[in-house]
Amino acid sequence: MTLALNHPMNPDKTPEELARGRFVSGIRSLILNDLAGDLKTAYDKRAAPAFRKREGREPVSSRDAHMALRGDPAFNIYSAMRVQAQKMVWASVGDSVARESDKLAAEAAKVSNQPGSVTLNPNLEVPRNVSAIDVHLMPGSYTRGDDSLEAGAIYDRGLAVFSMGLMGANLDDIGLSMAKYIALRYPDFQPQRILDTGCTIGHNTLPWKQTYPEAEVIAIDAAPGGLVYGSARAKMQGLEVHFQQMCADSLDFPDASFDMVWSSMFLHELSKKTRAAAFAEAFRVLKPGGLMLHMELPPNGEMSAFDGFYLDWDSYYNEEPFYKGYRDESPPELCARAGFAKQNYFQFVVPSVGIYGEQAIADMVDSDQAEAVGQATTGRLAEGVMWFGYGAWKQ
Amino acid sequence: MKDDLRPEDAPTEIYDALGRARFFADPGMDRFVAVVMNLAQEVWVQEERLLALEEDKGAAPADREAKLKAFIDRVFEPVRGA
Repeated sequence: MTLALNHPMNPDKTPEELARGRFVSGIRSLILNDLAGDLKTAYDKRAAPAFRKREGREPVSSRDAHMALRGDPAFNIYSAMRVQAQKMVWASVGDSVARESDKLAAEAAKVSNQPGSVTLNPNLEVPRNVSAIDVHLMPGSYTRGDDSLEAGAIYDRGLAVFSMGLMGANLDDIGLSMAKYIALRYPDFQPQRILDTGCTIGHNTLPWKQTYPEAEVIAIDAAPGGLVYGSARAKMQGLEVHFQQMCADSLDFPDASFDMVWSSMFLHELSKKTRAAAFAEAFRVLKPGGLMLHMELPPNGEMSAFDGFYLDWDSYYNEEPFYKGYRDESPPELCARAGFAKQNYFQFVVPSVGIYGEQAIADMVDSDQAEAVGQATTGRLAEGVMWFGYGAWKQ
Repeated sequence: MKDDLRPEDAPTEIYDALGRARFFADPGMDRFVAVVMNLAQEVWVQEERLLALEEDKGAAPADREAKLKAFIDRVFEPVRGA
């Protein structure tokens, strides 16, 4: 199914656009469920045994699994169809964004006086990992249309098709689930100032404002268009968030000025060097007692060779070049290198609040099951929809 | 994909001269898969138009999600279990 966004910038789709979006969600379901299952069968029965025969050893890493699968018929058809389906996601929303540009501008104008702000920095050079590639095959990437509403609308509407209804009514399930977990697990933690880094359109920023309404919430990203769109989107939902164009590895904030630094599905977009700098900056701007928290893809260290490559596929074929490099890194070591004490690191998986409800998260907190991170509970091949998160407290 | 923005360990042979991912020995097959998917989407769009016309003529509302799943399963059955 294709999600209908629950805010005024939801498109008025033509019947043809509805049909196109529905088809894309349906074909993605075939690929990610049925063909992915065929891929695993082919790996177990054909590709891995051939690798063992050829190399004289088991495939033990994501790279081994990749090399084992290259050329296998199941891999070829899965991959070729997945690439095309990804292109179809964005193509299915492009017409409605172009047709409704005036409507989008009018809706944004209606809320321009609501609490919240957006501050662009025309002198900021958008990093090449954002501007020089079509990130996840999204034409024009996050810089499409410069500081217009176009990139944000494409991303919002495309993600609604991409998510197949699994990422929340406003694509905010990750933020809602994580915020609920933190609120229940650490009830004494009451952040007054929260920073979201790499926020795109702020879809997973808003849950923090909803969870901690007294907090000042600031959201940054390198690309201007998503911020402009995200600010309007936040105002439409009555949530005061201050969006600023800024890079996570060079924060224009004083030392010890935030209680929490958060990101979702962002760190894998950064090079190793930039990622390390972003962690160091998070540590710098956190107050003592503050929390750095990231929702991300689980690391390869927690997975089998096949499951690791299943996620790393995006790195090679979905214009996510740093995806595998990130997943090869160790989250606790990333935190430690930034200055966080090792004993203050934690990681967890949390069930989707939209699918399983708040009680499921409460049950996880009560039983400490959330912190039992492993292959059975992480990644796209896990049962159900679970989000992996980790973080560290600054002493 | 730009050369300096490829994964560090990406084998060069997995991309064509324009930096696009390739999977089949014959690169025409990669394009052919895309054509088949585009064509299936166009057929589905027409199917939804027909459903709308039938409903306008008094037919019971169709379960489009269920019909789509059956359509996709039928069309793409030959690639299952590759």
